[in-house]
Amino acid sequence: MSRISRIRFLAACGACVAFLIAATIFLLAIGRPPLTTLAQMAFYAFGDTYSLSESLVKATPILLCALAVILPARLGLITVGGEGQLYFGALAGTAVVVGFPDGPIFLLLPMMLAAGALGGALWSGAAGLLRARCNVNETISTLLMNYVAVLLVNYAVYGAWKDPGSLGWPASIAFPPAATVPSLWGTRVHIGLIVGVIAALILHVGVTYTRWGIALKVLSGNRKVGAMVGFSFMQQTLLVMAIGGALAGFAGICETSAIQGRLQAGLSVGYGLTGFLVAWLSGQNFLRAVPIAILIGGLIAAGDALQLYAKIPSASATILQGLLFVAALGASGLAGRRSARYG
Amino acid sequence: MKMTGPLVTLSAIRKEFGSVVANDDVSVEIGGGEVLALLGENGAGKSTLMKILYGFYQPDGGTIHINGLPAAFNSPRDAMARGIGMVFQQFSLVPALSVLENLLAALPHAPWLQRRGSPRVSEALRWLDQLAPTLDPHRPVRNLSVGERQLVELAKVLNLDARVVILDEPTSVLTPDETERLYGFIKTLATEGKAVVLITHKLADIAACADRIVVMRGGRVVDRAAARDRSAEDLVEAMVGRGSMGSLPSPKPPSGDVPMLQVQGISAEVQGRTIREISFELTAGEILGIAGVSGNGQFALAEALAGLTPVTHGDVVLASVSIAGHSEDGGIADEVAYIPERPRDNAIVAELDLSLNLALRNARDLPFFPARRDIDGRARALIAAYDVRPPQPSLPAIALSGGNLQKLVIARELSGRPRLVIACYPTMGLDVAAAQAVYREIFRHAAAGACVVWISEDLDDLMSYAHRIAVIHDGRIAGIARRDEADRQILGRWMAGDAAGSA
Repeated sequence: MSRISRIRFLAACGACVAFLIAATIFLLAIGRPPLTTLAQMAFYAFGDTYSLSESLVKATPILLCALAVILPARLGLITVGGEGQLYFGALAGTAVVVGFPDGPIFLLLPMMLAAGALGGALWSGAAGLLRARCNVNETISTLLMNYVAVLLVNYAVYGAWKDPGSLGWPASIAFPPAATVPSLWGTRVHIGLIVGVIAALILHVGVTYTRWGIALKVLSGNRKVGAMVGFSFMQQTLLVMAIGGALAGFAGICETSAIQGRLQAGLSVGYGLTGFLVAWLSGQNFLRAVPIAILIGGLIAAGDALQLYAKIPSASATILQGLLFVAALGASGLAGRRSARYG
Repeated sequence: MKMTGPLVTLSAIRKEFGSVVANDDVSVEIGGGEVLALLGENGAGKSTLMKILYGFYQPDGGTIHINGLPAAFNSPRDAMARGIGMVFQQFSLVPALSVLENLLAALPHAPWLQRRGSPRVSEALRWLDQLAPTLDPHRPVRNLSVGERQLVELAKVLNLDARVVILDEPTSVLTPDETERLYGFIKTLATEGKAVVLITHKLADIAACADRIVVMRGGRVVDRAAARDRSAEDLVEAMVGRGSMGSLPSPKPPSGDVPMLQVQGISAEVQGRTIREISFELTAGEILGIAGVSGNGQFALAEALAGLTPVTHGDVVLASVSIAGHSEDGGIADEVAYIPERPRDNAIVAELDLSLNLALRNARDLPFFPARRDIDGRARALIAAYDVRPPQPSLPAIALSGGNLQKLVIARELSGRPRLVIACYPTMGLDVAAAQAVYREIFRHAAAGACVVWISEDLDDLMSYAHRIAVIHDGRIAGIARRDEADRQILGRWMAGDAAGSA
């Protein structure tokens, strides 16, 4: 066991080294001083309170979308639907705000959040139902439903829900204070982060220590035996897809309400896909997903800041992010093969 | 039997796995044209020895000579190049591919294109046509019975022009017909000058076709002789090492006459095999043996009785309660113990540890937060009671050998108080002592009043222990006979498809 954890540790170190080498080469190629730029990035990610808070803001939807991938993965399902669930959650939550813009906070806010989570759950649950009942591959269906959800939001903000006061800008009305998710510590960080971390903890305990976790392990290992001992693959598929979708949908409505203040097209900058990558980097582990999501959030926030202050094109941050993913996935893949040899 | 110097000589082979000595100073000579039976209980080291010859393991000591020349095999590929082929207990066929595709893929130069009537195809099929003339080579392997898979595996090895053919427990999964054909086949191979090594713990195999016997126990050779010089008692004593075990006493006839299990005209379909209108009744404590050529609906019958597959007609009633399945997800009734065929696929979760696999029987009734210590403690007790080796509850089930996996499933299923026991090939892969322990366990439940449906292809065992024997053919019951009325001729006719009424 210790041998395997040592391999894991070495893999993490190897990933860092590989990333630094690749990043250096890339930065040299675009004519930037590598050390300074990387140090700047680190600063803009976690250097002061403001940078840290912005990193956490980015990390929140990524974490929630990662959880929405990890839970189905524990049943052996591979979903890439975080993006669509996030959009549909935002759409469903916004429907409440558009419908009752003058509702009191104690009604409007919980209703809006519940609708967001429910929307995500339905969107994801539909893919789960297709998988459980008709054996439709969940990877394909969630992928395709992403496009549908994004376009539905476009349809709403270009059409019926367009704010007449926004002078043609495709967005819904601004969310009233009664529909604004509370922020924390006077920054833009909002309760979505707390919900994400608590959800990660609860899900970790759930899959590690409960009968439910045993059911997931049995069903993902041998569905035939699962059926024999009375665990229902269909039920569990619906459950994990719905819970995952609810988390992603919750991320969508939080992002809309707390960060953007209104529903608009392009509400997510690939949080769903980034969440998917975080899930795989974490080895489908809820607890490990938390720091990894924060790290990736930092990278994205730093990219934005660099673009602003250092005039580095924001695409370079995306490229650096890509290099980090490749380095980390490569290293963890190698580690997996090694530890399989010793395990 | 002609011998012109040994084809293979294994000298002073030693192999250790950690602290366990699997082979200790083992020397065996294998001559061309002879059938050598390697006899011993589970864990006696016979499979290990042959896997060393096959290049699967490297010996820690000792030498291998082929035709008098030293040989060192780093992989089965090396061994195959020197004409050594082995058929394992656990098959290495690709379930999704057809029989023909599996055979083609194993040829040294597998063709890119598969054309009907090409010389490669007839080359791939040349042995299969002799071994299993009725097997359609275009059927996918996943639909084959265990016995059929083994024949395909054997054809695969023979296709590679092996001069030494090692068979690991080949008859444990075959029907009497298939077994007879295999015996004949083994003798043919020997007359063609090939050396055949038969790893076995069945004395019938030796009586039928062995020329020479090497008996192993605890990693050492304890006896070697010509087959005709040893009686069955000698061999059991050498193998078990504690005097002849004798056979089990036959279970007492059931006392009651009120039917406890009523199978009422059930029809079902599983994996393309159907059963149609099967009916029988068992009283409490009665053991019904189900014989038949494999692939005639045994699996579908077992699954339907266990309630794991929906029945399209009829009902299964146990103690006045219907236990027939009505959906795919129903789960097994608490009072039913089910030992399915191919336990690796059908009864365990390979990645989970032994503790959890043992806890699965009543997984639904576990508390929401199961106490890991209780699960482990119970597992340790079961592992000790049923002699599962290695006795480590934290090991993933996939690490167990076939026989120990079987014991694990039996420990889980038979440790409760079932009212119906469905046992499919329950002693497959087990040695004499372990098999007797399993039978004793099953009979204990019968004596306590459980109905037992026992699917087997071992007619000798069925005729010794079952109260009644039914024969399944083409998804129907061809006939049922009491033990004292059953003889091999009648059962054989039923197995071939003559129904009882028309006989």
